[in-house]
Amino acid sequence: MLQGYAVVGLYLLLSFALLGVVLLLWWFLRPKKPNPLKLETYECGVQTVGDAWVQFRAQYYIFALIFVLFDVEAVFLFPWAVAYNQLGLYAVIEMALFLLLLLGGLLYAWRKGALEWA
Amino acid sequence: MVPLTWYLLVATALFCIGVYGVLARRNAIAILMAIELMLNAVNLSLVAFWRYLHPTATTGQVFALFVLVVAAAEAAAGLALIISIYRNRETVDVENIDLLKG
Amino acid sequence: MELSWWAHLWSVLPEIVLVLAAALMMAVDAWLPEGRKRELGYWAIGGLAAALTVTAVQAAQLAGGIAVPYEAFGGSVRADLAAMLFRVIFLLAGILTVAISMDFRPLRQSGEYYILLLISVLGMGLMGAAVNLVMLYLALETVGIALYLLAGYLRDTPRSAEAGLKYFLFGVFSSTIMLYGLALIYGFTGEIAYARIAQALAGLPAPAVMAALLLILVGFGFKVSAVPFHFWTPDVYEGAPTPVTAFISVASKAAGFAVLIRAMIEAFPTAQANWVAIMAALAFVTMTVGNLLAIPQRNLKRLLAYSSIAQAGYILIGIAAASPLGVAASIFYLGIYTLMNIAAFAVAVIMTNVTGSEEIRDLAGLSRRSPGLALAMLAALLSLGGIPPLVGFFAKLLVFAAAIESGLLWLAIAGVLNAMVAFYYYIMVARAMYVDRSPEEEKPVWISRPARFTLWFTVAGVLLLTVLVYPLYLLAQMAAQAF
Repeated sequence: MLQGYAVVGLYLLLSFALLGVVLLLWWFLRPKKPNPLKLETYECGVQTVGDAWVQFRAQYYIFALIFVLFDVEAVFLFPWAVAYNQLGLYAVIEMALFLLLLLGGLLYAWRKGALEWA
Repeated sequence: MVPLTWYLLVATALFCIGVYGVLARRNAIAILMAIELMLNAVNLSLVAFWRYLHPTATTGQVFALFVLVVAAAEAAAGLALIISIYRNRETVDVENIDLLKG
Repeated sequence: MELSWWAHLWSVLPEIVLVLAAALMMAVDAWLPEGRKRELGYWAIGGLAAALTVTAVQAAQLAGGIAVPYEAFGGSVRADLAAMLFRVIFLLAGILTVAISMDFRPLRQSGEYYILLLISVLGMGLMGAAVNLVMLYLALETVGIALYLLAGYLRDTPRSAEAGLKYFLFGVFSSTIMLYGLALIYGFTGEIAYARIAQALAGLPAPAVMAALLLILVGFGFKVSAVPFHFWTPDVYEGAPTPVTAFISVASKAAGFAVLIRAMIEAFPTAQANWVAIMAALAFVTMTVGNLLAIPQRNLKRLLAYSSIAQAGYILIGIAAASPLGVAASIFYLGIYTLMNIAAFAVAVIMTNVTGSEEIRDLAGLSRRSPGLALAMLAALLSLGGIPPLVGFFAKLLVFAAAIESGLLWLAIAGVLNAMVAFYYYIMVARAMYVDRSPEEEKPVWISRPARFTLWFTVAGVLLLTVLVYPLYLLAQMAAQAF
């Protein structure tokens, strides 16, 4: 079993070695003309202004939270869907109740203005 | 196959990194991330235990699913509290959050 | 045994009532105009009272032998008298808390507050009934998340926001450590149901079980604020809105004890010698540290925080006794403690409304300013201190007797000594009310009608139970037999 991984390891080494050879080759072949323009984020494009560490609007965070919550609830839907044929009516009713509660939560968030963009 | 011990070692290591993060970091968001790391360590060990020792019943998997959902809810509540601290104090550094002296 | 769908629902009927009430309140809250949010308090009391009625009927059926205890939802929850009695404690605490919240100025009425409170009560009910690890964790987190948000509910008050964040970080950290212990238990045994875990653990090496047990106790220790895990308590109690503090100090603590008792007795009987030693040590450290740190406090909420840590220590004595008498004593103590602690906090809420601060010196002259309020506080304090004839004395007597019966004489003696220390700081508060004078004695104290209800209910409850000690004890004993 572990010998099977040895092949993978060999490939890994080989690919690193190849990369190294190519980079070295370029180092010798390429002309060296350092230029501050080359260090710009966009060599030919809009000049960058300010810092990348800016604050986002707080509204993003409420959307993100609501998204994460509903996204994770979907976790329960997958096993339910897979086992659907063996579960019968009981599970259908239970899932309907679950989704109904979630819908209630969404409506509440909507009504409370959590989905407004302002 | 990779033995169970390896999984458990990784899980323990992750958990300890998480504990270290909670104790050593000062940024509240970093602490929250460390706690998420701990939760993921638990999930890893749950799933490994299930797969190797108790594969007949799906208990371990189901447990892990619930942990996942609780983690999301925790993160939501935690971020809300951190935002409200930030609005009050302009900082999320737990060293500076010291109005209540204990 | 195949259960009927009704039997499944019956086991969590109070929770179903609470879910419906919370959903209804969300709908009402979304459409109620801004100025009328206070009415939601009455909705909340209605929902909690409905659930309480259901629970009382169920408890009566179980106590009278009309219904038999059973496990529902694939062994997730048990319907037994202990679960029902704990629900009564949570629901009562919820109703009384809503009543003191309704006119608490800083809260500036809004609907989410009451809905979160309802949801945390719901989670507590499940905590008391949980008999497997997944249910235990889910219920614990439901309660936790709702309470973190409640503690930080006053978003514009830096102290409240800070209390919320601290409570959250400590709570999530300790519950995650506990979760790791739960995962280990699952790994060792392959089971999540308490009864089967107990069977499977019998053949396992003791150190492994011990490691998992210690991890789990971190989470429980946090919930009941036992001493090495108590650091959050004073800060959160001081910073959280006072009604929320009252609720955390009684209901959340009682829920912590409910899961602690059930898990220790049902899942870890084979490790009993170990956890009895741990509980005895925890009890000793908790009451001693709580009482000693309470003495220098000048803030009423911080004083009550340390006092509630010490009270947790006394309750732990009953669990350390690990006998039917011990468990009965702990349940008895928790019931009494709920009433007397909420009474004390109700006075704190009323005084915060009047003076805007929570210092003990602001109680000066209260006996002349509002004799009734001072008397209520006095009754609560004396009962918390365990002064005979009040019912708090019997609660202490029971846990000490349980300790002696189980051969923990040293713990009982330590408890008595601690009770004497505690007496000192309770009397200091009483002295401020009765001896100290203040220039504001002429100003009347405004008490809203719901808060008046809480005061009357709790004080009357303490006095009434002083007379009815024996029936209450019998009830606690019957509940203890469930384990």
